[in-house]
Amino acid sequence: MHFEIVWNNLPYLLQGLMVTLETAGLVIVGGTLLGIALGVARNARSRLLRLPAAIYIEFIRGTPLLVVLFIVYFAVPALIGFRFTAYQAAVIGFIAFITAYIAEDYRSGLASVPRGLAEAGLASGLTPAQVLFLIVLPLAVRRMIPTLFGQFVRLLKFTSVASVIGVTELTGAALTVNAREFHPIEIILFLGGAYFVLCYLLSSLGRWLNRRYAVRV
Amino acid sequence: MSYEFDWSVLWTYRAALIEGAGMTLLLSLAGLGGAIVLGVLAGTGSLSRRAAMRGAAILYVEGARNVPLLVHIYVWYLGFSSLRLPAFWCASFALAIYSGAYVAEIVRSGVQSVPKGQTAAGLASGLTPRQALRHIVYPQALRIVAPSLAGLFSQLIKDSSLASVVSVAELTFQAGAIEGVTFRTFEAYIGISLVYLVIVTAISQGTLLLLRGRAGFFAEPS
Repeated sequence: MHFEIVWNNLPYLLQGLMVTLETAGLVIVGGTLLGIALGVARNARSRLLRLPAAIYIEFIRGTPLLVVLFIVYFAVPALIGFRFTAYQAAVIGFIAFITAYIAEDYRSGLASVPRGLAEAGLASGLTPAQVLFLIVLPLAVRRMIPTLFGQFVRLLKFTSVASVIGVTELTGAALTVNAREFHPIEIILFLGGAYFVLCYLLSSLGRWLNRRYAVRV
Repeated sequence: MSYEFDWSVLWTYRAALIEGAGMTLLLSLAGLGGAIVLGVLAGTGSLSRRAAMRGAAILYVEGARNVPLLVHIYVWYLGFSSLRLPAFWCASFALAIYSGAYVAEIVRSGVQSVPKGQTAAGLASGLTPRQALRHIVYPQALRIVAPSLAGLFSQLIKDSSLASVVSVAELTFQAGAIEGVTFRTFEAYIGISLVYLVIVTAISQGTLLLLRGRAGFFAEPS
């Protein structure tokens, strides 16, 4: 075993790690906000909102992530004549992907909020928007913490797919190092270990938040 | 927008698409078979009374789940490159080990949801613990977890697209090939995403029908 290969290339690998973290961070924030917005649209009373949201969610949930990335990176530019960088395409693709799953999770979060609460809000004179933002959303989102973090961990693993369209995140960096040094076992052990630690930390954070903020009924 | 659509390429290259869909299904079935074996072993093991067994099962589930599927594929394709496994088997092993961890969680929750009295009654009537598990617990657990297993299979089919990265000629790979020849990027990728959608919808609707029908494996005991 030649683990000095990993040590010697550590600065480069850590750069890749930073790209992975940055991508995951952007997508977690963007995907959660858009996902909840899409979830609200999916469960809205107006059919004009509900139907497009439902079609989008079904389409994305039936399509592999890699294909979504290819659509954003290769297919959409052919259509609009403007090309994203690989990194931009990856972030947009991941957000487009995870949004549909979070929107679907929002439905079960919403179902856990008793109807009487919203009705009480309306009866006490709040507008429907106030009821949504002050009563329904805070409760639904707190209910969603475990599933949300499940999605975040999935997303963190999915960021490795960005290497396929040429983003030098953690996996991409490791593959480059391997192409130069050819010590695949050491490099892949490092790679797997790094993802394991990241995912484990993220799911531990989720469990902690859930203990602290979950709504108990 | 100056792009002119030409959806006829999908029809012209239908042979490649059908071949790709067949390979996707084959790969997913190979992955599913392995995942079920690993998942039943690890899921049951994680409920074992022996600490070593529980430890091994938990180690496997956590280790496999917290590492990206792409890295699993590279483990077999690059890490064990001295074995010179064909790319198809690299992808199948990776899919089986990765998804097996999720199957293990499903099996575990299924086994736990069967009332303890069922096993106790089996043991009291003279079955060995293994027989009780096989003839009493597993059949009832299967009925409970069937929808989750179908969901997992859909997920596995979508995940199998990553096999294209190590050049297994499945659906996503074929889309790249069609694009390379025709430059019909948009049609090729939207086309295959619709094929995936059809396969995944067929599986989820098929399971619903199976579950609703009262015949066969999933019927309620009368």
